Amino acid sequence: MIEFLNGTLTLFGDPTAVMIFGFGLIGGMLFGAIPGVNMLTLGAVLLPFTINMDPNHAVMLFSVIYCAGVFGGAITAILFNIPGAPENAPTCFDGYPMTVQGKSGKAIGAAVSCSAIGGVASAIIMMAATPLIAGWAVRAFGPQEIFALIFFGLAVSASVGAETLWKGWLSVFAGLLIATIGTDPVGGVPRFNGGSVMGFEFSSYYLSAGIHFIPMILGFFAVSEVFVQAMSIAEGKRKRPKASLEFPSLVEFWSVRFTMLRSMFLGFFAGILPGIGATLAAFLGYSQAVRWSKTPERFGKGELAGVVASETANNSATGAAMIPLLALGLPGGALTAMIMGIFQIHGMEPGPLIFINSSDLVWVTFAAMFWANLFIVFLGWLQTKTVVHILNVPFRWLAPGILLLATIGAFALRNLTIDVWVMFLAGAIGFFLRRTGYSAAGIVLGLILGKLGESAFAKSMQLMDYDVFGFFSRPIAAVLLIAAVLTVASSIWNEIRGRELQKALID
Amino acid sequence: MSSSDHRPDGQTLTVSISPLFSTPVLEWLFWLVLAGMVYALTDNFDEPIAEYQFGASGWPRVLCAALAFGATAQLLYKLTRRRAEREKPADPSSGQESKPAHSGLTLGAKLQRAGVFLVPFLYLYVMPEIGFYVATPFFILAILLLLEVRSIKALISVTAVVHGLVLLIFTRFFYVALPVGRVEGFYDLNNWIIAFVRTGM
Repeated sequence: MIEFLNGTLTLFGDPTAVMIFGFGLIGGMLFGAIPGVNMLTLGAVLLPFTINMDPNHAVMLFSVIYCAGVFGGAITAILFNIPGAPENAPTCFDGYPMTVQGKSGKAIGAAVSCSAIGGVASAIIMMAATPLIAGWAVRAFGPQEIFALIFFGLAVSASVGAETLWKGWLSVFAGLLIATIGTDPVGGVPRFNGGSVMGFEFSSYYLSAGIHFIPMILGFFAVSEVFVQAMSIAEGKRKRPKASLEFPSLVEFWSVRFTMLRSMFLGFFAGILPGIGATLAAFLGYSQAVRWSKTPERFGKGELAGVVASETANNSATGAAMIPLLALGLPGGALTAMIMGIFQIHGMEPGPLIFINSSDLVWVTFAAMFWANLFIVFLGWLQTKTVVHILNVPFRWLAPGILLLATIGAFALRNLTIDVWVMFLAGAIGFFLRRTGYSAAGIVLGLILGKLGESAFAKSMQLMDYDVFGFFSRPIAAVLLIAAVLTVASSIWNEIRGRELQKALID
Repeated sequence: MSSSDHRPDGQTLTVSISPLFSTPVLEWLFWLVLAGMVYALTDNFDEPIAEYQFGASGWPRVLCAALAFGATAQLLYKLTRRRAEREKPADPSSGQESKPAHSGLTLGAKLQRAGVFLVPFLYLYVMPEIGFYVATPFFILAILLLLEVRSIKALISVTAVVHGLVLLIFTRFFYVALPVGRVEGFYDLNNWIIAFVRTGM
């Protein structure tokens, strides 16, 4: 506690630190909200300038950008179905339908509050137990547990947004299959970037890098939404969503308290694991909210708990991601790798000794992350009062801007036009998926988790000498796998029972 | 396939069941063909990897099998559900539901719908040739026209504001590199626009 207060005093007692804090907060939120650039863009641009900065300031700046950037993308996800970053993708599932129903204020209010709550809780746990948790997580979580966790995540969320369980699974399988394009994660063997099928020869240099999930997300959510709205305009059926400034009530927050707590735990847990991070945290939080809800059928149609789950989980992952970095020197994602770079630029080595050798730096960072998450409430509230009014602009005028933002976002990723083609194709496919009851969310989930899942599976098999039952010799992996199998079995049972009930009603 | 021999109102049933039957079968065939084609493609990289016995093709092949299994399960589920629906008395509203949504559209509306899908791809096709900065205003105008914006004032002002903001944010402030075109005159024009937008920086 004393260290935290000292960190806070150091932060706010130094005008330069306050300015850097404010810059990181606003910059992170803006970069998180604009598709095409993200917090990593800001981080990459700023990294060279950190050479001349005080290391405390530099690490603090990047930590604040991380917290604010993860939240920033929620606003565009809710208002326009454009997730600012992949970790905001599940926020679209219910956030945008809420906007369509004229509840944008509630959705953004929930996102703001839950991002702050998740982030603050995560910062507190980070301050209390960094060395302890980091050691446990890295020891207990090997490739087997990561594969089991991914399988569990897929099992739970397969049917999200799909008309039936089968369509949900087919969507996930399609996403997993798309993730195999590029190179094999074990031997680096090129896959699906050339060859012949039915006498037709093809070869593509661009496919060697695989299909990136960002153009797919932009296509499935933003572009397909423009197509859907354009069709409604052509058919004369479009209704303009009402801009609303109404925040969720305390009663509504109370009703989602368990969702919030669960997502907080899941987000924190996913954040600690290197390579998992906020994206899987958001998907896991969302899928578990569906799993435990008494009204799962309302998810994907504008359920407040969906926004709460996704936004609590992704911000909970931010504090957690700092734990392996600071305590063990293991960056879990791109932004934490940049922070690692700052340490190295300044001749420091993160690890257990950093708590002794650079205690000031650690506590200023902790304090900055804590306060950044609290400030999100204030800035988010201001955003809610202002940004929501964009909805009053006719969609016909916004559509070209949305398509251009998505185009630039897809292109700027790797400077490849093929990514923009992929995005527009995904948009067209997404349009038909919506009409046929398949799940764009399922495909995106499969695509994001596919590479990670295959890699973890391959490593597990090598470690276990190809004995599949080896998974059951590790308690965490066994529990997760059994839970996944039970989830699949129960969802199939529910689907069949639903049909029988329908038949009984007909009879 | 018809069940008209079992019911007095067989004609109604034949009309309502055929699409119900054909769509799941077509869907099943689609997934099966897709899985089969992808499986065939895995032969191109079916090579062993040192210390990994499943090779590069093992995982995609399992996924192909899973796709085929899922599609078959879906087909069986839909066919058994159809059997349950067959027992249901003919619902006069069901005929309306199965009616295609676009049946009443005029030729203009159909072209408008097709245009919404085609214009982005046309934009993408010409963008590498004539450059982002030249192609974009025309793209914005085309989308606005397809979305039934007819006021000249709105067309000009929205195009100017959207293009201006994109130039300001991505070209002036963020230095995002966007295609400048390959065709000679357009290449120069795009570069001139970039230089103009960055004036004073």
